[in-house]
Amino acid sequence: MSDVQASRSRRLRLGGASLHKLSAVATLVLLIVAFSFTSPAFFSVNNGLTVLLQTAVIGLLAIGMTMVIITGGIDLSVGSVLALSGVVTGLAIKAGMPVIPGMGLGIVTGAACGAINGLIITKMRITPFVATLGMMMIARGLALQLTGAAPISRLGDSFGQLGNGSFFRVVEMQANGFPKVIFPGIPYPAVLLLVVALLGAYILSRRQIGRHILSVGSHEEAARLSGVNVTRTKVWAYTASGALAGLAGMVLMSRLVTVQPNEGVMYELDAIAAAVIGGASLMGGVGSISGSMIGAFIIGVLRNGLNMAGTSAFIQQIIIGIVVIGAVYIDQIRNRN
Amino acid sequence: MFDTPAPPTPLVEMSRISKRFGGLHAVTDVSLDLYPGEVVGVLGHNGAGKSCLMRILSGAMTASDGQITVGGKPVTLNSPQDARNCGIETIYQTLALANHLDAAANLFLGRELKTRFGNLDDARMFAHAQEALRQLNPHFTNLKDPVSRLSGGQRQVIAIARAIYFQAKVLIMDEPTAALGPSETAMVADLTLRLKAEGIGIFLISHDMHDVFDLCDRVMVMNKGRNVGSFRIEDVNKDDILSLIIKGTLPDDWTPRGGK
Ligand SMILES: Nc1ncnc2c1ncn2[C@@H]1O[C@H](COP(=O)(O)OP(=O)(O)OP(=O)(O)O)[C@@H](O)[C@H]1O
Ligand SMILES: [Mg+2]
Repeated sequence: MSDVQASRSRRLRLGGASLHKLSAVATLVLLIVAFSFTSPAFFSVNNGLTVLLQTAVIGLLAIGMTMVIITGGIDLSVGSVLALSGVVTGLAIKAGMPVIPGMGLGIVTGAACGAINGLIITKMRITPFVATLGMMMIARGLALQLTGAAPISRLGDSFGQLGNGSFFRVVEMQANGFPKVIFPGIPYPAVLLLVVALLGAYILSRRQIGRHILSVGSHEEAARLSGVNVTRTKVWAYTASGALAGLAGMVLMSRLVTVQPNEGVMYELDAIAAAVIGGASLMGGVGSISGSMIGAFIIGVLRNGLNMAGTSAFIQQIIIGIVVIGAVYIDQIRNRN
Repeated sequence: MFDTPAPPTPLVEMSRISKRFGGLHAVTDVSLDLYPGEVVGVLGHNGAGKSCLMRILSGAMTASDGQITVGGKPVTLNSPQDARNCGIETIYQTLALANHLDAAANLFLGRELKTRFGNLDDARMFAHAQEALRQLNPHFTNLKDPVSRLSGGQRQVIAIARAIYFQAKVLIMDEPTAALGPSETAMVADLTLRLKAEGIGIFLISHDMHDVFDLCDRVMVMNKGRNVGSFRIEDVNKDDILSLIIKGTLPDDWTPRGGK
């Protein structure tokens, strides 16, 4: 076998993961083009920023979810943990805590829920599906119990900053006395998502914990025999997922300027779908932050575009369900070849 | 390096080790020691308990009973990390490679090299891995492929390279040449003798009688989890060993052969 042949086949084989990403990007572009035709308002700066904003929450959840899925696990609790974190922050602010420490407390709450997930999975040897399903109910129940299922409002303007503020916003006073928005600015949540995504990608590819996450998902026993601390690695991944659920909760509740204990229902499914569309394998060992971000935007654009085209929420569910199954199926066909 | 006769303290001493899985006695009351610069063969039929005994020494499994001393000091080996810290490296029968990672990532798994800022130093790991693997197999080229795409022999070479790279005092080789071709097998035999000359103690599990007689100084035969005989290699021949492996006893007319 010649060297040329060898290197060519390697290039083709290496293409597997990037090919998946490429086809995901192509899907995204296709969706954007299609929606631009169906609704003229879709392809505008304003709507683009709306999509960014809507995707930020799912994107943050998907980053943590990707790490968990790469270890070979799953985190069904993120939607509920998001709500619980928001409730804790809301109550803390009501009790007189300033906004920033209050939000910090919310994120810590999320991280604690994640750490508990990790410990239940590793120490009690409960499967991730069952453990996080339990946490999903516990966190939701707590959020509802603590608030009596009522929203917490009047949290002050500064609470709304994170979700509604933006960089480089340009507003001009018009002659008639009304302000005119020249450029709506880049929303804080979008910038936050970008920063967290870059950080996540850096951790996965350049740090020891990232390598260990991959090895645990690839072959847990081999990782253990190689001296990887499997328990620590898994607890780390679930804690990260919980903390990011907390952060996503801050963004979402801040955007609404109200804490809603029943927010975030089924968000975990969107996050899982984003990761899977982006090429993560539920068998573990495979996945990337960049892929999951593309996946999150596919879901975000799909939701937004269908909304603007007047498609009902029920039909949206059906379409997203089909997209998820289709993405995984296409990936499997590719891997078989 | 170590021309002096073996010092009185063994590198490793396993005494009265037992391992039970529920009602199954995988290892029963086995004692075994190892001195520097010595190759000790651990032999037995399939399921005799060889891998279990060795996994106990590599910290991959905890014994139900028994003590282990390393360099004269009693140790508890609760994890593979503990064993490595005692200078015990293992080539597992299952190879223990993470399929989605490449050769270098596997070689350094759990002991990654890092840059000043704590980032993974992939360039340095790659260079070291390349050198270590080329020593064992000059034709090793696809270093950047995930190991799931490599051949059984190439995977085995990675597992061997990993065990010897970190300068062990004790090396456990559980059927290290099972997937190797003749030239690679010869290479591993050379390597074994070279490590032995450096004063490393080696436990070798093998079903290949040629390897056993070429490489081992002593053999220990297990049958149904029990030690049924430890001998200097000069005192036994192939038939004696086969008899021990199969029946668990020596031929009736056996006397020490004293070098054939
Ligand atoms: N994790 C485990 N759980 C239960 N039983 C086990 C486990 N590991 C090994 N055993 C049993 O212990 C016995 C000894 O197994 P072991 O792997 O030590 O055999 P071996 O001598 O290495 O055989 P081979 O030559 O086939 O590798 C076998 O009966 C096996 O089924
Ligand atoms: Mg074995």
